[in-house]
Amino acid sequence: MKMKYTDVGVVAVFYVICGLFYSGTKKLPTESQTYPKFIVIILFGLTTLYLIQMIMNAVKHGTESGKSQFEGFQPKQFFVCLGLTLLYIIAVITVGFYVSTAVFLVVSLLFLKVKPMYIAIATVALLLLIYVAFTLFLRVQLPNNLLF
Amino acid sequence: MLNTLAVMGQGFLHALTPINLIMMLAGVALGIVIGCMPGLSAAMGVALMLPLTFTMQQDTALIVLGAIYCGAIFGGSISAILIHTPGTPASAATAIEGYQMTKRGQAGKALFTACYASFWGGLLSCISLYFFAPLLAELTLKFQSAEYFWLSIFGLTIIAGVAGKSLVKGLMSGALGLLLSTIGSDPGSGIPRFMLFGNSYFYDGINVTCALIGLFSMSQVFILAEKKIKERAQASKVTDKMSLTRAERKTIRPTILRSWIIGNLIGILPGAGASIACFLGYNTSKQFSRHKEMFGKGSIEGVAGSEAANNAVTGGSLIPTLTLGIPGESVTAILMGGLIMKGLQPGRMLFNEENAIVTYTFFAGFVLVQFFMLGIGLLGCRGFAQISRLSDAILIPCVTVLCVVGSYAINRLPEDVIVMFVFGVLGYLMRKLDLNTAAIVLALILGPIGEKNLQNAMIISDGSPKILFSSVICWVLIALCVVGILSPIFMSKMEKKAEANAIAGTTEDVEQLTEEDLV
Repeated sequence: MKMKYTDVGVVAVFYVICGLFYSGTKKLPTESQTYPKFIVIILFGLTTLYLIQMIMNAVKHGTESGKSQFEGFQPKQFFVCLGLTLLYIIAVITVGFYVSTAVFLVVSLLFLKVKPMYIAIATVALLLLIYVAFTLFLRVQLPNNLLF
Repeated sequence: MLNTLAVMGQGFLHALTPINLIMMLAGVALGIVIGCMPGLSAAMGVALMLPLTFTMQQDTALIVLGAIYCGAIFGGSISAILIHTPGTPASAATAIEGYQMTKRGQAGKALFTACYASFWGGLLSCISLYFFAPLLAELTLKFQSAEYFWLSIFGLTIIAGVAGKSLVKGLMSGALGLLLSTIGSDPGSGIPRFMLFGNSYFYDGINVTCALIGLFSMSQVFILAEKKIKERAQASKVTDKMSLTRAERKTIRPTILRSWIIGNLIGILPGAGASIACFLGYNTSKQFSRHKEMFGKGSIEGVAGSEAANNAVTGGSLIPTLTLGIPGESVTAILMGGLIMKGLQPGRMLFNEENAIVTYTFFAGFVLVQFFMLGIGLLGCRGFAQISRLSDAILIPCVTVLCVVGSYAINRLPEDVIVMFVFGVLGYLMRKLDLNTAAIVLALILGPIGEKNLQNAMIISDGSPKILFSSVICWVLIALCVVGILSPIFMSKMEKKAEANAIAGTTEDVEQLTEEDLV
């Protein structure tokens, strides 16, 4: 198996996590340090083991970019969806659930080129479903800050 | 004995209450809808529906989750048969023969076979659930803190090694999950640890349900969003009658029995799952068939072998989950999360006087769910086939909304939604980089249990680690941990062999199944 360049990033991130948690444990009282420190050491050991495996794979079989994992990736679609989701979460907290949800659904479905008739059906059906399931059945008070 | 039988009977009576029956109906229907949509998985469905069960009675909540699980495993066969795209990996082998039957104008027969075999596979798996679960739970009576510590380690080693391409990466995922589980108060002293941004929200640790929704549901949205949205194939029309002749039923009877045993064993075995069982069931049906020439051209035995095996996994996989707290796969890990959140601890506690009625009501519900699955499956196949064509463009925002509302509903805290989103991104990256999301979830659940028991053991032994090696059970569990670490090597060989055998000798149409369908 060839070594993937994307795995270099994985190893780096895991080392950073180990470092952050290790420095975090130092701020803890001694009696609370043992267990987290033990886990950090295990994670560090496993990450190093994987690094050795990667190097051996690189020497024996060569390297590859690892881009195949992202084959067919649609950057515009992906990042717009990700951004809309983030905006939606902020809007739910600040504006209110039902208005934000309606706007999010319409905008997302329009962006994903869904036909207007289906947009209307999906938006109304989902809002109705959530109202019945969460507001009426579970009696969950959904956020209603600025608007309902 | 008589007492147990009485509780079992009571369990049936409780399961037959109108609310439980309605929930079974809704859960199975929802499960089938989720299962038949390629792109959505059983794990995702169960995770998404978990918050809905919070206000329900313990038994009703478990029945709903069990119903979604069974429905989703069966639902995958509908799209496998009618549009040649397995709704879930558990139906990948069904697509081989099922679609061939559809091409020959026998879609109705294939769907009936899938329903019938799924029903019997699921129903028979309940027998082992009733029989083995209390026996295995009895064993945990002998467990002390040290044994529970090793048990949690065993659970982690077994799941860390599966479902990924690299064993070390699986173990790294498990260790990362353990590290994340240390966020919050120290279970012994109550001292806050790693309070991110000094936020007191994290004092109780990371909310496991939010993490579950993020890792399994939100991450799936991102997976759908990164690909070009395509129109799904038109579902083939069901032109023939949905039935089997008496002779055909007689033919598939031994196949169903064999697949039940295979599926059950695979289910009990932590680390294996329905996707392995379906191929093993399919292969065995091929080996024992008197009509081998029909394989690859549309064999009802092939469909029955695959479907009975994957549904037999459901009951089997609940045995280690409910008795030892070791879920064998993602769905049962989520179910276990639900169980703990409802205040139930896997093990002997589930069968004591206080909780036995809840447990046996769930078991009885699990039996009845199979009947609902048969009924809804037979009556609604055509409708579900149309639903399975629902575009990813509609699914992406709709599932996002459900993830947000589901995570908010748990504690009505905006922070929960943010945690869900962060775990969604983390889950997406982990899946793309071959890390194991199930191991993270299990570590979040088992980590605090393991840590608490380790601390208790140390207090009992005045800090001497010898206590961790002081009993035969400890050594057995340590040996099992070693087996757990090595098991992926065998599992991977078994899965590859089963897949290769299934594909060998079938028509080139089979090769059109993408790698994604088979993994």
